[in-house]
Amino acid sequence: MATIKQHAYLFDATRCIDCRACMIACSVENNVPMNDTYIWVTGRGVMGEYPDLQRATMPYHCMHCLAPDCVSGCPVGAWSKREDGPVLYDEDKCIGCRYCMNTCPFSVPHFDWDKGLFDGALMHKCTMCPQRLEVGQEPACVQTCPTGALKFGEREELIAEAHALIKAHPDRYIDHVYGELENGGTSYLILSHVPFSELGLPDVGIIPVKNVSEAAMRVTVPFAVGWGAVLTGVTVGVGLNKKRQEEASKKKAEEGATVAGGEK
Amino acid sequence: MKMQVAVPPRVLRFRPSPIAAVLITLMGIGFVVAMVRFASGIGTISNLSNTYPWGFWISFDIYTGIAISSGAFLLAAAVYIFDLKEFRPLLMPSILTALIGYFMEVLALMVDLGRPERIFNMLFFQNFTSWMLVLGLCVMIYLAILVVEFAPVALKGLKREKLAQFARRFIKPAVILGVVVSTIHQGSLGSLLLIQSAKLHPLWWTPLLPVMFFVSSISIGLAMIIFESSMSSRYFRRGLEMHLLEKLAKAIPVALGIYAVLKFAQLILSGNFWHLFDSGLHSVLFWAEIIVGVVIPLIIFASPRNRQNPRMLLVGAIILLLGMILNRFNVSWFGIQRLQDVSYVPSLTEVSISAAIFSFGILAFGLVARYLPLFEDAEAAAANS
Repeated sequence: MATIKQHAYLFDATRCIDCRACMIACSVENNVPMNDTYIWVTGRGVMGEYPDLQRATMPYHCMHCLAPDCVSGCPVGAWSKREDGPVLYDEDKCIGCRYCMNTCPFSVPHFDWDKGLFDGALMHKCTMCPQRLEVGQEPACVQTCPTGALKFGEREELIAEAHALIKAHPDRYIDHVYGELENGGTSYLILSHVPFSELGLPDVGIIPVKNVSEAAMRVTVPFAVGWGAVLTGVTVGVGLNKKRQEEASKKKAEEGATVAGGEK
Repeated sequence: MKMQVAVPPRVLRFRPSPIAAVLITLMGIGFVVAMVRFASGIGTISNLSNTYPWGFWISFDIYTGIAISSGAFLLAAAVYIFDLKEFRPLLMPSILTALIGYFMEVLALMVDLGRPERIFNMLFFQNFTSWMLVLGLCVMIYLAILVVEFAPVALKGLKREKLAQFARRFIKPAVILGVVVSTIHQGSLGSLLLIQSAKLHPLWWTPLLPVMFFVSSISIGLAMIIFESSMSSRYFRRGLEMHLLEKLAKAIPVALGIYAVLKFAQLILSGNFWHLFDSGLHSVLFWAEIIVGVVIPLIIFASPRNRQNPRMLLVGAIILLLGMILNRFNVSWFGIQRLQDVSYVPSLTEVSISAAIFSFGILAFGLVARYLPLFEDAEAAAANS
């Protein structure tokens, strides 16, 4: 296996049969308790009108964004993006604020709602199985998928493959590779026969949602310094002005006193 | 100048009424619920879920709590930066409100954070692209500043006159830093939502969110000072500084006007104007916050006759606060669109935590007002005039 620069998944919704073997494989590989899961699969039900019926299923992994918003938003830097693809979590840093759940436009990270102080509540999500990548294997879900609905490889190659599939079967796919550009590009690419909104995927646009937030952050320190300087200036100015006024009135009073009585 | 103040027999009388008993009971209930949460997780006492990671606690304790603590920095700026000494009688009660308010937020965070024992990770592992970090640091820094600002009164109350004099020296720098931190802090509650552009309804999401939050915090702070003075004049049976409140009330229409212009100009320029009418419940919520929080208070406070009437002042302030609190709930809860079709209503136990923290706040204010010379400036001013 040649070294891969940017790992990515390609999910083909037309091939998924809702068997959920990927979920089981993931839980086994990552030691996920039975009542929890890193990835989850949802049958989106039967759509359309008889006889043109369609059904679709969507496995939700982490999208492993190229410009991840969780990484931008986490106050303690518990999230990080590894150069070759995976978005990873450092459970020793996490303070459990759950802001990442808000920042993620795909609402991927999930939280241990049933763990108290002694169990230690943490965030969970798909990791892209870095322990398997290191030994040249695909993530467990991909390896298990019986229909080839999940594929794994170099991101650029998968995008090319996806477009080739669309070209070869224009009747089968919607002409769009979800994740190629969404939110600045993701490492989880999706091909579908039903509109992506039917798969429960948000319409996020191609500019990472963190951009405005980070732009605002860049002006904050200069703003704080400037605002502090202005306020200091006003404080000093008002103080001086008052002093001058007081002195002026004092002088006036003294002059008045000299003129009137000349006691001094 | 040094003044030996013989500690007078307290003129202020806090009535240890049935209210206190109710507050203490609420605190007890909240304490038990919090213990359950620490033992077995947030999910056991709240209806929060992966679809609603933030809910009532964030909207009420944090978004509302920080907004209504803004009176302190406004008055501190008026008294120490603009040297408007006449406002001194209102200052210390406001600083105390903010001090207790921020402490309440820390208490709320201790319950709401998944790993409260790691709160100081914010000092050791810092990610400087995170508005959450800014928010956390602002709470810590401003809490320290409020302690400095309140120290002279506290030390005086403890009869440490010399230390109180010493503490007074730090007030001006503390106030300047406090205004800077407050500006950023009020704004950062809006900035926190910038990254949620794909989720927050376009009626509320705009790159100007931090500016909106800061501007609205000014009218909220002014209304809060009026509300709080009116309340404490009732419960502590002291006079009401009408001439001061009237002046503050005069500023409210200006602050609200700027806010309204910003809000509507933004909606028109961004092309989201039509959502005012086509977004169902979201449109209704938006209009509700505008009518209750901006339009009605604007009408009330624009009239000089209302501003001279203590009753109308209080009514106007309460209406403004309700509308602005709805705004904070809208942006942090109602206006956020979810991918999953899951509903969320806060559980009773969840609300009991906030009720307990709120009760603590009222009780703490009552106790401090009883034992520290909080209103002394006011009495001195009254004696002078």
